This record gives sequence, structure tokens and C-alpha cells, in this order.
Amino acid sequence: MRRDDPKERRSEAVLVQDSQNPTAPMTGPKSFSDADARAEVKRLVEHAAALLPSQGPITAFVFLNTLQALEDLPFDEGVQKGARLFGCEPYLTEENYREKLCQDRIHLSDLSLALQRDLKIHAEATIGSVTTRHQLRLAMLQYPLRTGPTEELQWFVAETDALTRVRADAPAAVRDRFLTETKHWVMRDLRMRLGHHQGELDPGLRDDRPLPIRELLDRFGKSSIERWSPATWQAFSLQALWRTCRNGMFSLPPWVEPRVPIIRHRDALREATSFDSDQLVHPILIRFCAAFADQGFANWSLPNRVDGFYKSFFSVYNQQNGPPDPWMSGLPAELRRIEAANLGPIESILESLELLGVPPIEWDEFLTASLIALKGWAGMIWQLEVRPDRQAVSATTGCLIEFLAVRLILERLALTTGAAEHLAFEGPLSELRDFAKETLSKHTHSSIEQRAFLIFQLAQVLGWTPAALCRLETKDWADLIHEIESFTSMERRRIFHQAFERHLRAQTLDAISIHTARPFSRVSSPRLQAVFCIDTREESFRRHLEEIAPDAETFGAAGFFSVPMYYKGVADAHYAALCPIVIRPQHWITEEVDATLEAKNRRRAQTRRVLGTASHNVHLGTRSVTGGALLTASFGVLASIPLVARVLFPRLTASIRRRAGQLVEPPPITRLHLERKSETPGPSGDGVGFSLAEMANMSERLLRDIGLTTGFARIVCFFGHGSFCLNNPHKSCYDCGACSGSAGSPNARALAAMLNDARVREILATRGLVIPAEVHFLGGLHNTCSDSITFHDIDQVPLTHKGDLEYAQSILEKTCERNAHERCRRFQSAPLDLSFAAARRHVEGRSQDLAQTRPEFGNASNAICFVGRRARVRGLYLDRRCFLHSYEPGADDAECSILGRILGAVVPVCSGINLQYFFSYIDSPGWGCGTKLPHNVTSLLGVMDGAASDLRPGLPWQGVEIHEPVRLLMVIESTPAGIRQIISRSEVVRNIIHNGWVQLALLDPHSNRILVYREDEFHQYQPSVTTLPKANSSAEWYRGWREHLEFAQIEA
Amino acid sequence: MFEVFHSCGLFAADLTHQVHPSNDVPLVLKVLGLLVVGAPAVLFATLGIASLLRSKPLSERVIARCIQTGILTGLTAAIAMLGLMLLWNDTQIPIELGSWVHMENPAEHYHYHFIFKFEFDRLSVPFVILTFVLCGTIGAFANRYMHRERGFNRFFVLLSLFVVGMVTTSLAGTVETLFSGWELVGLSSALLVAFFHERPAPASNGLHVWIIYRVSDAALLMASVALHHMKGEGDFDGFLAGEWPMGRTLLEPNQAFFVGLLLLIAAMGKSAMIPFSGWLPRAMEGPTPSSAVFYGALSVHLGAFLLLRFSPILEQSLIVRILIVVVGLSTALFATFAGTVQTDIKSALSFASMSQVGLIFAEIGLGCYYLALVHILGHGCLRTLQFLRAPTLLYDYRTMEDAIGERLPKFSGMWQGKTSERVRTWYYRLALERGYMDAYLKESIVRPVLSALRKCDDFEHRWTRMLGGTVIEKKPSSEASSAFEELL
Repeated sequence: MRRDDPKERRSEAVLVQDSQNPTAPMTGPKSFSDADARAEVKRLVEHAAALLPSQGPITAFVFLNTLQALEDLPFDEGVQKGARLFGCEPYLTEENYREKLCQDRIHLSDLSLALQRDLKIHAEATIGSVTTRHQLRLAMLQYPLRTGPTEELQWFVAETDALTRVRADAPAAVRDRFLTETKHWVMRDLRMRLGHHQGELDPGLRDDRPLPIRELLDRFGKSSIERWSPATWQAFSLQALWRTCRNGMFSLPPWVEPRVPIIRHRDALREATSFDSDQLVHPILIRFCAAFADQGFANWSLPNRVDGFYKSFFSVYNQQNGPPDPWMSGLPAELRRIEAANLGPIESILESLELLGVPPIEWDEFLTASLIALKGWAGMIWQLEVRPDRQAVSATTGCLIEFLAVRLILERLALTTGAAEHLAFEGPLSELRDFAKETLSKHTHSSIEQRAFLIFQLAQVLGWTPAALCRLETKDWADLIHEIESFTSMERRRIFHQAFERHLRAQTLDAISIHTARPFSRVSSPRLQAVFCIDTREESFRRHLEEIAPDAETFGAAGFFSVPMYYKGVADAHYAALCPIVIRPQHWITEEVDATLEAKNRRRAQTRRVLGTASHNVHLGTRSVTGGALLTASFGVLASIPLVARVLFPRLTASIRRRAGQLVEPPPITRLHLERKSETPGPSGDGVGFSLAEMANMSERLLRDIGLTTGFARIVCFFGHGSFCLNNPHKSCYDCGACSGSAGSPNARALAAMLNDARVREILATRGLVIPAEVHFLGGLHNTCSDSITFHDIDQVPLTHKGDLEYAQSILEKTCERNAHERCRRFQSAPLDLSFAAARRHVEGRSQDLAQTRPEFGNASNAICFVGRRARVRGLYLDRRCFLHSYEPGADDAECSILGRILGAVVPVCSGINLQYFFSYIDSPGWGCGTKLPHNVTSLLGVMDGAASDLRPGLPWQGVEIHEPVRLLMVIESTPAGIRQIISRSEVVRNIIHNGWVQLALLDPHSNRILVYREDEFHQYQPSVTTLPKANSSAEWYRGWREHLEFAQIEA
Repeated sequence: MFEVFHSCGLFAADLTHQVHPSNDVPLVLKVLGLLVVGAPAVLFATLGIASLLRSKPLSERVIARCIQTGILTGLTAAIAMLGLMLLWNDTQIPIELGSWVHMENPAEHYHYHFIFKFEFDRLSVPFVILTFVLCGTIGAFANRYMHRERGFNRFFVLLSLFVVGMVTTSLAGTVETLFSGWELVGLSSALLVAFFHERPAPASNGLHVWIIYRVSDAALLMASVALHHMKGEGDFDGFLAGEWPMGRTLLEPNQAFFVGLLLLIAAMGKSAMIPFSGWLPRAMEGPTPSSAVFYGALSVHLGAFLLLRFSPILEQSLIVRILIVVVGLSTALFATFAGTVQTDIKSALSFASMSQVGLIFAEIGLGCYYLALVHILGHGCLRTLQFLRAPTLLYDYRTMEDAIGERLPKFSGMWQGKTSERVRTWYYRLALERGYMDAYLKESIVRPVLSALRKCDDFEHRWTRMLGGTVIEKKPSSEASSAFEELL
């Protein structure tokens, strides 16, 4: 019914190109020389490639802004352009936002303020002499306006109670006034005048218009007017209103919606005939892309793969007797023709462009749209090409261009067949687009009924009476309808979104401002210090730890702990890069077994090898004829035992499996090979490790970043985090984002080992960073799925620290239970009245369950990033929604160089995580990868939906379900001057902050004053409340509640 | 003249009133038999009626409890039945649910009757137990896997419909009973392929599955009509005498050939044999658990089950048996061949399933019935486990690589070294394009049939115009059928 139905919009949106956008190069060169043209195509493809999903193989999930390529545009412009390009949604739907309005996740006041800020001085402009712009727009936001085809509206008006009852959601006061005034008007003015001056009436009642109000009076029975019941009056008033509105809409200029240019021939043809050439092209292209990108799943790999996409495709498809489909029958001949003419991929693209009749001025848009049509696979091929260090099998340079060349060849064939069959078009392809466009129905304008119905509905909620409307001039009507029509659904959603963000922003800043008003100081002589990742999941963990042990102090740092490295564990086959995606590590670190256990290790490795080979053979065997027959006919029935056991008793099966696994695991005592012997680093032999100076530098950098330079506890722990769950292709998106989707414990372990090294401490002491001798560092792992803590190198803890270690272990054990308990409140399948221990068992069960699609929620619901001293927000319940990075403003220099390097990592990493969640939630099937249930792992590097589809990057719906899509609010403990320096130094940070891809607020280091960054200026924030809710413990605050919670002060 | 009477589905009454003498079946077995058949039916009725009557679907917890109760009841009864059968050394127990239609004309030897009859024997009991075990496990799995999915209720309604269909088919004692179960299985499978109907691909692939199923249904229907025509009844004892698998048929060899051929076509469609194989990889559109239980384990074996059930008829005709072996072996070879180039786990598993089912066909053709049965059971369990664990593929590969310490080795076929690159590439494309099976079907069958139908339509129009003497505008019939064509 509604025109803003998202599904319908999406199909339209594919066609929309940025007609208004000034950055789109509409003014390209008109013609090229050969070499120029080739260079131009190459440039355009690379330019378009930046738009493609930047996710590499799913085994190392990387969080990046989905629209990273558009970060140089302001946020709203960027998302709207992205939405047009990809045919996705830029914001939630209006219904979604109105739901939030009902649930109080948006206040009406937020909406009003957002409008005010958007309209600025134009807010109070009078529209059509009945209302102000602000009032009108607010009503349009608040009340859903029904619209639809004219016939449907006519039916609606005739058959429903639209003309007998004022709409139910109109405020009672407005309704009563509307009815009374109309009655007065009729009784006082209209009846009299109708009686005296027949034929010469208000301009609104001229006779050439259909059904004037006079007739209406007659129809309702003018003579009995004094005996009309209230219901009759209501019906009369509404009918009068409807007629007035319709009369007003006559002879007004039509509203011209921006025309949608059609770029691809496929779109023109599909509009004209509903034949979709992509449905022919994509299956074959998907199959071929999957075979090309395969990382080793298929037993028989693509022939001539090393020659690149183009050549390999030619070699496979240029032979006779190929697929019998009519549209592909010409493919072998066409490929051989191209080969004979010796056309390379770029030449072939140029030829296709010419054959398709695409002039150079349209190349950019056409090539971009063609690449985006299969964005998942195209993006993956591009990633294989530009990041060859991240997977086993990569692509040669130029593969994306080759992909495009093949795509256009196939497209030409499909178009030729489709046009002949469905449009009876036999001419050259270059004329197809125009030919198809001509058959399209011309653009239709909205009808009188459609326009009148909008005003009719608004009049009821704003209380415009027929009397008032009758007095409007034609110009007023035109103004009014123009104002309504120009406040499009997209604009409404934009305002809604701003209001939505404003609501949470105000809530957050209120909480921080009130909480930071307290006096604060670091914990004096702490008994335990623990450093965690900035991850939002660690917010609750740290809070619980601090509640249980008030003498503990926690810190937050990016989870690779400033130790970028390629790492290979004892039982690993390959190195994995453990650092943010933007860094390419220069060092290789391995884990080695203690010398005394070497023999045992070798034995076990041998056993593992035998078992691994056997399981690989079984894996392949069950898929072959003979092996499969032998295995299924003999032992097949036995598979029912693990099948039933694993599904029905996941925890029991897991513990049996674990016990069995222990028999072949590497021995428990291992060391990191940290120190390098040779000069240059390398992946093997003496090249493994860091130099002493490098170790000192990394150690110093981290300690200074988090401001831990004095007041050490006897035991300081670093915890990397990872998530261990089953049957989940997206497992790595739950791992540490700062370690490129792996667990960060090796980094924590490495850092601890470096800091325990006396030589490192000596160097640090010379630089003014004195670590007392009795301080011992420990690395560990926080498993965020089952909530457990594992320590590394426990055997190295000095005997003197045994008591401290035991203390830490007991505290952390309790913390794990509490944290699991808090997490459980978000799981619908966990009862709300679980005990701490039962909650822990529940999350353990989740991590071991094959059928569990939500082992955890990862960083879902993230909304805030606090960079500053923990002491300032310690005791503030932030509902696992806040990234926390420790930073000591007092220790920083005048240029804010420490903050600068922190933000250099934190801004892109956290905004990347936040925006990835944002987009995957806003349009799950479009930007994200939809629901997990039909996912099909393909080529060992990604998932498809079902049997064959485009590759699906992004996060699954099950992982983002509880998220609230708002831009990250960064709250930094710093001054405007400091931040401006940083922004001027780093382009990445400037783009993200200045263009509004994150929101920024500054907390004064010496008071609780907050400055909000808006349109390149800092505005003082006025808290709207004076107190926060208080609770004695986190559990007391969150228990019994599943939804998002308000922020509260925990007074432990 | 005609004596038609309906005894309307009251089981208790039906038990005492029976056309065929099976009164010697002990009451306990009758009760157990009724439970086996009745539990899924009641389950489906409960879920189905609840979804029709209530504005909001049942809660996840209630649905889970229903599924659990229904399937456990059926399973326990089936196992108890098996136990008693072993104990009393009784290998064939018929249970009748009354005669529904009975028409007779002795003068003209005109006879028709329609009985709901279930038969518990060496073939059906293991198959029913397999059905319950797998569907029960999948039910428990899906209860967590589908948590909070919009189609949760729909999934379980279809799953219970599927169980009803499977149980009916496997226990059927008459051709009609078998056919009705067969239809339910087909319907629920096709609807579950199209489970995610918001996207176009599942809907069109679901329709594809449905069309192939209809072809196979038509063959089965013709077979049962033929059987009726030959023997006047659809009861298995009418043409299959003796206990499975030692039974023999009462049909003449040429009758057996004709019926056997139709049964083979029906089985080929249902079990994705060449040339109907195209639908199996396409069926991987539904949620993972439904792919597992339907295409990995149960519904794909239904064709083989049909052949096993009618094995005595097949024995009567050597040509049919040879055809079965040929079809089975060529499917097995083709599926293995196509499976080696598949790059996604679900397609690879579906081709693996196909190759095993092909082998099972061959075993049936060769007369190794027990081997085929054991093969079905083993393959069903193993493949279900593999399908359920399909999303864990990346982790498994990583674990295996870590254990072996290097990239996984590849096993390329021996023949690859002995052929020229050109030939290899040609075969690679054949495998990648899955033997062009769907395209051939479309080009060689669908198109000619459609154009013939279109001609008929055209002719009919002209005919009516001539008869009516009025000018009737020719309907643009091509539009509807071209949509149909696209689906294939």
C-alpha cells in the first residue's frame, strides 16, 4: 500500500544513479586514443573496485566500514549514495523508527530538535498560511501517511471508515477542535451564505469543481441539520474536508520526481519485459568465480588457473559441444573470435563497450554498475588480487579487469537472446537500451486523489478545518503540496535517524557528565592489574572484576597489545597475522615446546599427523563412490551415535571429545620464540623473533598508551580474547578485531614475556619507565563465548607470586561467572532467573552446540567509545555498549602525540566495527549476509545463500539481532585544541570524524564539562538530567531485563 | 448395482471390521502399529490446526514439546514393534485401517476397493525407525537452529508433514497408501526447498524440484493404475505374495516389465538419478537441517525404497533389472565425476549422496536387497551428520591442516594424467556445468512438449471459433508458458 515499501524501493533503487551528486564525474573526456582508453578503463575499474566489499576470506573476518570508499563524503550523503549504488537501504524503514518512537527509544522531543537543527532558520517559515514547516514536517514524521494507487485510495475512501471517523491516532484535543470549528463554520457561515447568495460562493466552492460542499449539505439533509448526531457531524466534517482537499488539488503543477537514469542494458530490458539477463549470466559466472577463487576444496581444480581469470575462462569455454542452452550456443565461437583477433581483457572490455553502445562519458557509471551487479564475487577477486598475503591461493594482477571482460561477453550473449525472444529486437545491441526505454511507460505523476489524500490525513492530525482550507489560494495549495511532496521518505528517514542517534547520545552524555562529576583517583596500591582489549564485551568483564575486587585496576588497549606479528603455534600448520588489517607485520613468532618434552611432542605430532591424514581420507572418502560405499555400508549406521549424541547432549559430547583430544595435544609447557638471532626477520630459523630494542619499544609504547607507568601491582595480566564455538562459518567475526579475526592471546603472552625480561626492563628504566623488580607480568586468553580465562606460562611465575596468582585466578573465575550471567540476559533461550553458575554452564553449552546460531553476540549493541582514564567511568554501568581505551591525558605532550597514535588505531578500528554492525543491521540481506540458516560454505573463503548465489560478505542477522544502528559516539578525555591537532595530522581520522562517520564529544580532563563536535565546532553539552539511577551491583541493575538498559551508577 | 460404503476413519471400529483376515494379529501389535502411524499424524494435525486457528503461532517451546512427544512415541512404538517381531519371530504384520471404498459388479468382473493398510515387515520397520531417529534428531537440532526465525512454525509443520509422508510411504500395504505418502513427502520437500521465499532463487528452485517430483508422481500413479487394471486391487498381497524379500510376484513378465519401467521412472525422479539429477544440488536452498534430512538422508532414498518394496516385480523382468543397474551405475559415476569439481560443501555433499544412491540402485538391480537396505541406513545416518556439520567445514579443514602440518594433499584421478589437456578441459566444463542435465531436459523435452501444447491450444481456439462462429481473440498464451519455461 505504502509507496515507501522497502522491497519495492530496493528494486527501483538499483536503477537510481546519483543525478544530483556533484562528485560523480559526468563530464569525462569524449573520446580517447587507444592507449588512453585502455588506461582509462583500467583506472575506472580500480576506482570502482574500491566500492566493492573489502572483506577477504571469511576465516579472517575483518571489520571495516562497509562504505569505506565513500568516507570522503559526509555521512548522510555517503550512505545515500551507497544505497543508490548498491540498491540497499541507507536507514531503517519509517515503520521501524515509528516503532522506536512507541518504545521510547526516540522521544518526540528528539524528533523535534533534530528537525529544528536540520531546518535551522527555515523552521518557522509559514507554509500555505496554515502551518509552519517545522510543524508540518513533525506531523509527517509522527504519523504514517497512507498512499497508494489512485484506485486503491478511491476504494479506501469509499469502503472504509476514512470518511466517517477521524483517524484514530489524531490527538483528542485536535480532533475535538476540528469537529467543533467545522460545526460552527457550517452553522454560522456556510448555511447562512448558502441560503442567501446561491451560486456565488467562496473560491473553494466554485461550481466547475466536482461535488462542492453545497451538495454535501443537501445530501446529509440540510433541513434536519439541527438534529444531526455527533456521528453525522463527524462524517459530514470529514467529507467536507475530503472534498475541500480534492478541490484544492485541481490545476496545480505536477510534482516532478527526479528521473532515474537507466545505466545497464539489463535494467532497461528488465523494466521493459521482466526478462533478467543476470539470471542467465550469474549462474555460470558464480560457478566459475567459485572455481577460480577456490582455496583447495574441489579435488579437481580449474584448468589453467595460473593464467588468470580471462585465459582460464577461454580455455574452459571455447571448445565445441558445450552447454546446450540457446543463449550460450554462440559462446565458443565468440570466444574463438576474440582469441583470433588477439584481444586482451581490456581490449575486450573496450569492444564490449562499443558493441553495447556505451559512450565514454558513461563508462564510469556503466562499469561500476556492472561490477556491483555481482559485488560479492567481484570484491573477493579484487581482495585475492590486492592482498595476496592473506590466503593460500591468490589471484594475479588484473584479475578484476579480466572478470569484467568475461562478464561483459556473457552479458552481450544473454542480452542478444533475451531481446530477440522477449522484445522481438534483432538490431545491434548498441541500440537496445534506447529501444527498450522507448517501450517503457512514461513517468506518471501523482493523481489528484493521491495528493489530496495526503493533505486530508495531515489535516486531521494538525486540525486544519475545511473552513481554513477553503480560504486557501491556489498558490497556498501549491505551496502546501509541494512542501509535503518534497519532504520525501528518504528525508524523513534521515531526520528520524538523527533523532534516534540524538536520543542515545543525550542518554550517554548525561550519564558520563553526571558520573564524572564525582571525585576520582587511581586505585592506590592495587593488588591486581589487568589489561583487556578495547572490545565492548570486556566492558562488562572489567566492571564485574572491579565490583568483586575493589583493589583491582583494569586497563583497555587495542587487543594486539602493540605487538604486530605473524604467529604460528606448536600445533599450527601456518602463520596467522595477529594485528589490525591495516598493518602488515614484519616479524614472525613461533611457539616451541619445552626442550624436556620435545620427544613427547614429536610422538604426539606424529599421532596427530596420522589422525589428520586419516580424517582427511575419510572426509574425501565418504564423497567418493567406492570409499563412500565401503564406509557407509559398513560403519554408516554407527554415525547415528555421534549424530544423536552431539545434537542431544552437546556438553557431554564436548567433554568426551576434549578428554580424547588431550591425548594428542602438544605438551602443556611451551615457550614463545621471541628473540631473534639474525639481523633481518624471516619466517624460519634464525629470522624468527624480535630484536631486544624492538621488544623494548613495543613494551614502552603499550604501557605509555594506557598510562600504566607508575603504581604497578605485584601481578599484571594481559588478556587477549577469542571466541571458540562450533558449526559457525562466521566464527572469526567473534574473535579479536584488532588481530584480524584471530584470538589475541599470543600477543598478550608475547608482551608479558617481553616485560618480564630483565634486559627490556633495563632499557625501559633508562627511558624513565621504571618497573619494580617484584612486578610479574602474565599473558592470558579470555574466551568470550564460554567465558573462561586461561593463563599462559604459568610455570614461569616465581614462587613468591604464588599467592598473588591464586588470588587473581579466584577473582577472575568469579568474574567469568558474573559476566556470563550478564550476557545471558540477552539470550532469549536463557531463563532470566539463572544463578551465576548456571549462567556459566549455559554459555558453555552454547559454545559446544552444533545447532547454536548465536553462540554469542560479539560486539552487537556497540554505540560508544571512551578514550580516557578508567577511574573517571569506573562504576558506571555501560551495558556492554562501550569500547574502552585507557589514556592518561596528564602524561601526554602538548602535541597530544600519545592520543594521536591511540586514535590513529582506535578511530578506524572502532568505527569499522561500529559501521559494519550498522550496515549489517540496517539492511541485513543487502549490506549484511542475511540469515545464517541457508548459508553454504564455498571455496573455503566465504558463504553463499543456498545452492548458488553471490558471495555474502557482512555479518549474519543472528549476530546483529540485538544491535541498535547508531554511529559510534566517541567520548575522548581531551581538549579541542588537542583534537584539532590530531585531526590536522591524520587524514583517516579527519575524514571519519569531520564527515560524521563517528560522533565526537570531548570530556574535559579536569571537570565534567562535555563538548560536542558538530559541523566543525565544539558546542557545550547541557545535561538534561541531574541524577542517574543507582544500584548496589551490576546484577541488581540488569536482572530480569532483556532489552537495552539505561546507564546507571553501581555503588559497590 | 454398486455397493459403496465408507467406514469413516474411526480406527477402533475399523479394527474390528476388516475385509481381509488379519484378525490373528495380537492386539498389542495393533496398538503399536497404530501408534507408529498415528503419532506423526496427530502431531501434524496438532501443529497444522493450531497454525490455522490461532492468530499467533504456538510458542517455540510448545512446538518443540509436541515434536518431541510425537516422534518419541512413534519411535518407541516402532522399536517395541521390532522387538516383539523378533521375539515372536513374526516377519510380516499387516494392520488395516478399514476399507474406504468398495465397488463390485460380479457380473462384469468389475471390482474396485480402496483400503488403508499398513504392513510391518523386514523392509518397512528399519526404514520407519531410521525416519524417526533422523527426524527426531533433526527436530531437536532445528529447535535451536531455527530459534527466532520467522518461519519457525512453518518449518515444523512441514517437518511433521514430512514425517507423516515418510511413515505412510514406508509402511504402506497398498499402492494407494504408498502413493499418498509419496505425495506428502514430495509436497513438504518442495515447500521446504522454497522455505526462504523472499528470495527468488529458493522459490524457483523449489518449483523445479516440484516439477521433477510431479513427473515421478505421474509415473507412480500410472503404475498403480496399471496394477489395478491387472489385478483389480492395489493391495500388495494382490501381486506380491510372500514376505519381503523372498516374495514373488503374481504378474506376467510383460506386465512386470511395463509396471517395472514405470516404477523405475518414478524412483529415478525421486532419487535424482540421471537424467533427473539436476534438482538435487538445487534443493540446497532450505535451512541446513532440512537439506540434511531430506536430500542427504531420507527423501533421496525413497526411490530406492520403492524399488525394494516392489523387488519381486523387478525380479520378473530382466530388462528392468538391467536398466536399474545401468541407471544406478551411470548416476554413481556421473555424480562422482561432477562432485570432484564442486567448490561448495552442500553441492559436494549432494553429489556424494547421489553417487551412493546410484550404487544402491545398482545393488537393487543386482538383487542384493539386504545390502541395499543396510547401505541406505548407513548412508542416511552418515550423510545427515555430514550435512549438519557442513557449516563447520572451515574449522575442520584448519584442524586437518594443523594436524598434518601443511596444505591438504589433493588426490587427482589416475585418468587425468593419461589424457590430453584439451580433453581434460572439455570434461572439466562438463563436470562444472553438471552434465548440462537441466539444459538438455529443457531443450529436448520441455520445449517440444510446450510447443506441442501451444499448438493444441491454438487449435482449440480455432476450433471453438469455428464452432461458435464468432471471432474470439487469441489469448496470449505464450506468456504463461514462457514463465514456466524459465523455471526449468
